[in-house]
Amino acid sequence: MSVNCPVCGKLKKDPVDCARHMFGTGDKTHKAWFEAQGLSYIDLLLSQATEPGNRAYIEVGELIVKAQKG
Amino acid sequence: MTANKYSVLNTRVHNVDGYPKVTGRATYTFDVKLPGMLYGKILRSPHPHARIISIDTTEALKLPGVKAVVTGKDTLGVKQGIWRRYPELCDEQILTIEKVRYIGEPVAAVAAINEEIAEQALDLIDVRYEVLPFVDDPMEAIKKDAPMIHDGVERNVNVTRHIEWGDVEEAFEEADYVREDWFKLGGQAHMCMETRAAVASYTPDKKLTVYTSTQSPYYHQALLAGVLGLRESDIRVIAHYVGGGFGGKFELDAAQFCASVLSMKLSKPVKIVFTREEDFIATKRRTPMYYYVRTGVKKDGTFCAREARVFTNGGAYTGMGATALYLTGFFHSFPYKWKAYRYDGYRVYTNSLPSTSMRGFGAPQAMFCSEQQIDWIAADLGLDNIEIRRKNAHTAGYEVPGQATIGSCGLGQCLDRIEEWIKAKGTLPKNRAIGISAAGFMTGGIFNWFDSPYSFSSAVVTINVDGVVELHVGAQDIGQGSNTTLAMICAETLGVKLENIKVHSGDTDHCPADLGAWGSRQTLMAGNAVKMAAEDAKKQLLEFASAKFGYNIIYDLDIKDDWVHNVARPERGMNYVDLVKEALRGKDGQRIIGRGHYTPHRKGMISPAYSYMVQAVEAEIDVETGKLSIIGCTTAHDCGQPINTLGLIGQLEGAASMAAGYGYLENMPVEDGKVMNPNLVDYKIIRAPDMPECEIIEIDTFEPEGPYGAKEAGEGLTNPTAAALGNAIFHATGLQMKQAPIMPEMIVNAFREKEKGGGTP
Amino acid sequence: MEKQLLRFYVNDQEYELFINPKTLLVEALRDHLGFTGTKRGCDTASCGVCTVMVNGMAVKGCSVLAVQVNGMNVTTIEGLEKDGKLDPIQSAFLDEGAFQCGFCTSGMIMSARAFLNETPVPKDTMEIRRGIEGNLCRCTGYNSIVRAIDAVAKGKYRGVCDDSK
Repeated sequence: MSVNCPVCGKLKKDPVDCARHMFGTGDKTHKAWFEAQGLSYIDLLLSQATEPGNRAYIEVGELIVKAQKG
Repeated sequence: MTANKYSVLNTRVHNVDGYPKVTGRATYTFDVKLPGMLYGKILRSPHPHARIISIDTTEALKLPGVKAVVTGKDTLGVKQGIWRRYPELCDEQILTIEKVRYIGEPVAAVAAINEEIAEQALDLIDVRYEVLPFVDDPMEAIKKDAPMIHDGVERNVNVTRHIEWGDVEEAFEEADYVREDWFKLGGQAHMCMETRAAVASYTPDKKLTVYTSTQSPYYHQALLAGVLGLRESDIRVIAHYVGGGFGGKFELDAAQFCASVLSMKLSKPVKIVFTREEDFIATKRRTPMYYYVRTGVKKDGTFCAREARVFTNGGAYTGMGATALYLTGFFHSFPYKWKAYRYDGYRVYTNSLPSTSMRGFGAPQAMFCSEQQIDWIAADLGLDNIEIRRKNAHTAGYEVPGQATIGSCGLGQCLDRIEEWIKAKGTLPKNRAIGISAAGFMTGGIFNWFDSPYSFSSAVVTINVDGVVELHVGAQDIGQGSNTTLAMICAETLGVKLENIKVHSGDTDHCPADLGAWGSRQTLMAGNAVKMAAEDAKKQLLEFASAKFGYNIIYDLDIKDDWVHNVARPERGMNYVDLVKEALRGKDGQRIIGRGHYTPHRKGMISPAYSYMVQAVEAEIDVETGKLSIIGCTTAHDCGQPINTLGLIGQLEGAASMAAGYGYLENMPVEDGKVMNPNLVDYKIIRAPDMPECEIIEIDTFEPEGPYGAKEAGEGLTNPTAAALGNAIFHATGLQMKQAPIMPEMIVNAFREKEKGGGTP
Repeated sequence: MEKQLLRFYVNDQEYELFINPKTLLVEALRDHLGFTGTKRGCDTASCGVCTVMVNGMAVKGCSVLAVQVNGMNVTTIEGLEKDGKLDPIQSAFLDEGAFQCGFCTSGMIMSARAFLNETPVPKDTMEIRRGIEGNLCRCTGYNSIVRAIDAVAKGKYRGVCDDSK
């Protein structure tokens, strides 16, 4: 399902792809969103980079879906 | 292959150090014995992480035969490092004072009349530790609650590096196919045949001489000055013969430091030689890494985007780890043109032996991931694995955006020749396949992280009355044959026979400063310096010849094969030695001296030139046991103009043996901070029966930056082998191996997973 | 521990040593007699850099006690050349560039010499490889070494040097 980035509004084709986009920009506002959700950017980064399977992105994707308006 | 237009270059010559080496006359640091010499031993931490509460040396000092015991408190306590330009990365007190950060870290050193007594004295030193929680995996070390290894270094993140060009997001959108993979790369021990060794001799006139097994006498001279509070020029570093380096011997190590500290205390020579076990556990090793790679391509195989995230296991100290972190990300884009690329690298401290540079410098790890993933992508899309590479290959003049400009590039030809070779091989038996890997590598680094004020390389050519040339260089021969290569360049440039050249290296008292043997720099950088010096000397000589002959001004003179002659009428001339005699007399008895130097200016950030290669590895897999045999290894190789023919063959075969070891043999497990196999029984390196025949296909290119068009050979060649082996396994069995070295049990497990239908790990 | 008398030959020359019986052969050669051509590279008799010949047989100098060779003839790398004339293997090593750092070279040449003495006509290069299996080399990848030994075996150095050992 396509979702809008909760920070910049960009349309992404699915929640995991959106998580990837938020991670990838790495800018202050996108990072701040992670912190606001009670997540540690570094811990997510670490797990995404070292564990096969993108568990971190999937978890973040679930939060992104929750953050969708309407 | 074009006919050789040179007299000396690219001919088979005896190594200039051959006689001493084949007759047992070569004296290594290991062999040095000085009058009154004492023997040193180092007490090492048994804990991966602990505070040092106290060290009591009184009992050890009482042992008859013991002359001195030192700890960190007897030193200036300097936190040193080789990245001198960045003080925050100079984080290592050899003989640490407050804390130990890895098992094997030096805490005290003893000098005694023999090794046995020194060893006994170690047991009498009473060290009180406050054991601290430790962490030996970067994944754990970066967590919020992990123990802090260096004060003030948050999350144990030692260094971060970022390389980016293009719009990565957009480029991924354009891709028709995207694939991501996770890899785990192991460490590797340099495992030089000569372990770390030093003999330090301090005399009351405040001068220090250090014989040591080093890749860079100049670096050690400067580093020792910094930690001992001595003037650089009052330190003499001597390294006539070095038993291997491979990237592990240009940083300051405990043998040099402890021997020097002890010698300064006693004004007597002190010798410290690491045991093989010490060499395994307490020297720096190749950097283990976690790699995440995501690649997007078009369905015709055109590369669009790549992003990579890497965590490296830095171990307890920085060492050369910052460079390895950068280069792995840089070479992970090689040798292809990417529309968009992003690399984020994080080096994390852990309580294990520090990691650093090792031949390949982060590129073997990078290629293992990149080159295998490319084959998997090609297979996923039904594309030819050579064609997909050809489509995206670097070409001469290509600008790696914001990073580098490629000079000469024979990659296309390398791909063509390997493609032909593979076709000619035909069908192979079951469980046997050929895997390929392309690579491109630097020829000397540009970034002056050592902060040296000297030219990167210098050379002096002095011609004696009998025509013999004293060639003084700071470049260090560690077995790669730089003495011979530089002598060849000197002989070719001057126009004289090779036997006229006498090379002086390995002694800071007599040789100019040179950054040393690392980063594939010496053939290009020292070679350029030697060429310049020889040209200078030749020009001076020819001035005398011109005056003597008085030919019409339009004629040129040259020297070739000891014959000074008119280029247009080569039969007219004189013998080189006769000219030298006259020139000497003309200069009031002064010898002709030529000087040369080289520092890269305006050549980008990374390197002045890049070598290229494509390697094909033929391997057979025993599907029952998972054991691998490498049947053959063929490399199409572009190093520009080859200089030292036998040296080049040796570098190719030697690199292949080391890189193959990284691919499937040299497992180096570290558990709870402890190296589990610190000996040559359990740490497996390749032996003669397992070494495959290696074929070289030299590709002809000319590199304008290099002397006579030469580029590096020997380090780039460690880049492709592990990846090519992985690809061979893939083509033989369909398994995708994401961990190096590829151990038999991994293959067996992978087969089991495949049968279960669970996919590959 | 009581010292012991050791009388033996090194490179056909008689020597007498009064040494601790725990002394390894390689230590006696290097530290007591100054034959530093033979090296040491490990403590597990795995690397072969200490290889010498004892009564013509290749032996790792770290794996025997000096006193065990009492009365025997030990040949070290220094003893291969005769009056300045190189052994064919040494010449072949030079011609093939069969060494780089050189630290394994003494032991490697001694192993090669012992191997060819025993097997003057190896049936293939794999037999040569097995002949030097006990010698590690980190630099060359072994192939140049095999080429050198093969060249000697094929008679390339006959008449050039004294190869009738």
